[in-house]
Amino acid sequence: MIKNYIKIAWRNLLKKKAFTVINIIGLSLGVGCFIMISMFVIDEISYDRYHEKADRIYRINSDIIFGGTEMSMAVSADPMGEVLKSDYPEVENFVRLYASQRSKLIKKGNQYINQSGVVHADSTLFKVFTLPAIIGNTRTALRDPNTVVITETAANRYFGSPQLAIGQFLETDDNDKTLYKVTSVIEDMPRNSHFKFDFFFSMANVDYDFGNFLSHNFHTYVLLKEGTDYKTFNKNFKEVINKYLLPQAAQFMEISSMDDFEASGNKLEYSLMPITDIHLHSSRGIELSANGNIQYVYIFSAAALFILLIACINFINLTTARSSGRAKEVGIRKVLGSEKKALIGQFLTESTLIAILALFVGLTFVWLSLSWFNGVSGKEMLMTSLLSPKFLVFILVLPFIVGGLAGVYPAFFLSSFQPIKVLKGKLSFGNKKNTLRNFLVVFQFATSIILIVGTIVIYKQLNHIQNSNLGFDKDQVMVVNNFGLSHETRQSLKNEIEQLTEVKSASFAGYLPVGGSSRSDTTFSTESVMTESNGFNMQYWNVDYDYLETLGMEMESGRNFSRDFGSDSLGIILNETAVKLAGFKNPIGKKLYTSDNNGNPQAHTVIGVVKNFNFASLRENVGGLCFQLGNNSWETAYRFNTSDVSGLLSTIENKYKAAAPGMPFNYQFLDEAFDNMYRQERRVGTVAMAFAILAIIIACLGLFGLATYIAEQRTKEIGIRKVLGASVTNIIRMLSKDFVKLVIVAFVIATPIAWWFMHEWLQEFAYRIDLNWMIFAVTGCVALVVALITLSFQAIKAAIANPVESLKTE
Amino acid sequence: MVNKLLSLNEATRTVNSGSNKVTLLDNINLQVNEGEFISLMGPSGSGKSTLLNCIGMLDSFTGGGYTFLGEPVHSMKEKNRSKLYKEYIGFVFQAYHLIDELTVWENIETPLLYKSVKSSERKGLVADMLDRFNIVGKKDLFPMQLSGGQQQLVGIARALIGKPKLILADEPTGNLNSKQSTEIMELFSDLNKEGVTIIQATHSEKNASYGSRIVNLLDGKIVEE
Repeated sequence: MIKNYIKIAWRNLLKKKAFTVINIIGLSLGVGCFIMISMFVIDEISYDRYHEKADRIYRINSDIIFGGTEMSMAVSADPMGEVLKSDYPEVENFVRLYASQRSKLIKKGNQYINQSGVVHADSTLFKVFTLPAIIGNTRTALRDPNTVVITETAANRYFGSPQLAIGQFLETDDNDKTLYKVTSVIEDMPRNSHFKFDFFFSMANVDYDFGNFLSHNFHTYVLLKEGTDYKTFNKNFKEVINKYLLPQAAQFMEISSMDDFEASGNKLEYSLMPITDIHLHSSRGIELSANGNIQYVYIFSAAALFILLIACINFINLTTARSSGRAKEVGIRKVLGSEKKALIGQFLTESTLIAILALFVGLTFVWLSLSWFNGVSGKEMLMTSLLSPKFLVFILVLPFIVGGLAGVYPAFFLSSFQPIKVLKGKLSFGNKKNTLRNFLVVFQFATSIILIVGTIVIYKQLNHIQNSNLGFDKDQVMVVNNFGLSHETRQSLKNEIEQLTEVKSASFAGYLPVGGSSRSDTTFSTESVMTESNGFNMQYWNVDYDYLETLGMEMESGRNFSRDFGSDSLGIILNETAVKLAGFKNPIGKKLYTSDNNGNPQAHTVIGVVKNFNFASLRENVGGLCFQLGNNSWETAYRFNTSDVSGLLSTIENKYKAAAPGMPFNYQFLDEAFDNMYRQERRVGTVAMAFAILAIIIACLGLFGLATYIAEQRTKEIGIRKVLGASVTNIIRMLSKDFVKLVIVAFVIATPIAWWFMHEWLQEFAYRIDLNWMIFAVTGCVALVVALITLSFQAIKAAIANPVESLKTE
Repeated sequence: MVNKLLSLNEATRTVNSGSNKVTLLDNINLQVNEGEFISLMGPSGSGKSTLLNCIGMLDSFTGGGYTFLGEPVHSMKEKNRSKLYKEYIGFVFQAYHLIDELTVWENIETPLLYKSVKSSERKGLVADMLDRFNIVGKKDLFPMQLSGGQQQLVGIARALIGKPKLILADEPTGNLNSKQSTEIMELFSDLNKEGVTIIQATHSEKNASYGSRIVNLLDGKIVEE
């Protein structure tokens, strides 16, 4: 029986080629899109699961509010792990990562390489995480100072092979020159890990004032014993704070108890986060890498599902629309003794067969577009990942789900025909009054319109970010790293390059208002003795005299640092938010206090106020910030004015190379660094655009199929109308009118939904565009025009056909 | 010994057309014995087709009694009724109603599929039927590639494949020329001699003359036998 079904289904597919092609293309786009997003989602949720003890590993997060400044951090204090392990038996082990240095200079031959992927780790690293060794014993590998564990890639790069690397020394620029012995080589870390390093240096070599509960600089992971509930464990942190933190804090500020501290609107909280949640649920300060976002996983999944639905709807609409073609067969089969059940089975077999074909075409689409998608999503997914058992089952089941989804309604619809009616040709197939079909077309277009609006809003918002008034000028600024240069050389190089006519100004700029740059914050108070209520935390940046000019920042009041004033080393410049945090009405001349290393207060006089500029993401409002005069010459920023950027770049590179032979020349343009901060939004924008285009293409394919069919059915009517004097325009209007109405209804339904979704999305940005009616108007017009163009192919063809031909055939 | 195949007792069929009740068949009384060859005659709209459809259980009477092989069809459930006609009744149509996507062989085979006959047995039965109707050479052709007469031969072969007791033929030669008509009617005549009961609806006196009995219908009533 099933053989007979497949045979007849196959012949039907071959007979109605246009119908088959439309259905298969539509479904395969839907299926392909769905598979691609499934791969993406599975990859996203697979993060950090490769650790054998993944279900017991937790990171300590810190949430602090102090003086109106809120900080959610992925790091905690250095003694925290040790304290937890010694005080609470539930903690089996802990490991700290110290990743403050983003890179080290490592010597290879006579050249220094600016090596990223470096971190200092406790020797317990391998007891908590699963990082298999290729050679060497990881149990003892990081126990001694001056040891390092490297990955296979690193071993190949510096020594040629893991076997050659073991026992050798790596020379780094720590304290000018430090040698580390390679004690073990491990396999490269999996891609789907929230941190990925190639060099794990011994923690003993970290130059740090250990034992400080108040500075948060260590990523700390704890391994809980089996059966421990981490949420219950979180309650222990209150005890830890009272026992260890309060006594330390009391040494430099007046603080009586945590209750008083909290009563003044402050907060100090620690909590454990499961390691498997980090990638999708954590976007804190000082993450080890840019994480994903569960929100986008949901949005992408929903969009993929909707596109699959749109494609299924095409199948439903086209199959039911051309049901008259199948009605006779249904009638005959029923007369020959077929039960309804058997007919339903037959039609479901057909839709499943189409879905299977669509699966193969869809997989081809996936294969063709995977590298593009990888580029957009920042992933490195492979087709071979589809061969994992779970995915294979999913792919085998998918055509049956799709076939069922698309086929079940047509199957019931077609199999319910009464044989005597259809065999006499009495059944009239109402084309105008098919409510379900109209509803489905509206659904398709409403979804497409929502996706188009989403795309436009995302792009407009990105554009807004790029062109909004940042408070600094990101264009035509080059930032060069001053590796391996003495401060004097840095100074003379800066002076020398400043003489070039293309260079307008230059500044030592260790801190930059873009992501990935250094940050430093300190607690200030308005009185010389800090209390819970007069203290607040803000950014505290060392800059030089030319910083504001080079970065194009503007003064609000007061003055910039000046070489003409001797006393500027104790002066500070606040931004507008800092003025508010301090509560100053007339800030110029006011004093703010910090405490020095011995806990003694140190006064700073406000000499000026700089206009607010965005130094964090535009998702947030500008926080408090203060400049003081200093020499942070790690990097030099040059503002230039030339059309020959590459020429200038090579001039500067040559000067650097001459001054520091063997050192890498690292530079970045400020505007590019700025754009990188919004990479995720740009990715979402690109994917949303791809979705929107796919959705509208599939919806139009369906519309095209319907129009073809209906024009075919109404050939005779069109012929008669033309004989009676209807013009081509009349006919086109008649054929398009109904569909245009549907698109308009879809627009009316989609507009509020799209408005709501995009309104919610925009709330994530402190600086955002308004959703104006133009966006919706443009989208509506686009949908209408695309639908009209699709329809007009068939409508014009039908309208200009010679009526004699169409009437003769009867 | 003559076995009664079916009997209609005051059988009525009405439809609602808007607010009017239209009577298509009016108190039909008819006995059909096994081995009969009955011709239903009458003008268009007299109810021939409706009567055939109701006897064939594709349609049902709205009143009166219908007994088939001693079983009361009028009080039967849809499922049993379908079992009954699948087993005992074959249909032949004016417009042949072959499935365009299936070959001659497959068209003839289809009723056997719905009766769940085994594959090896099906092959034998279909081959015998093709042989008998001399259409072995056409077994892989599609209906569109055959003449009208050939298509109707396939239609009859398909009706016979399930070894029915009763063949219902609605204007079986209506779309054929006179030579083809004669061939088909002679075939019916032969089948009847082999013991198959046949009820045909026809306009043609000549075709009716092949039958053993003529029933005249007018406005849904039997007017003459």
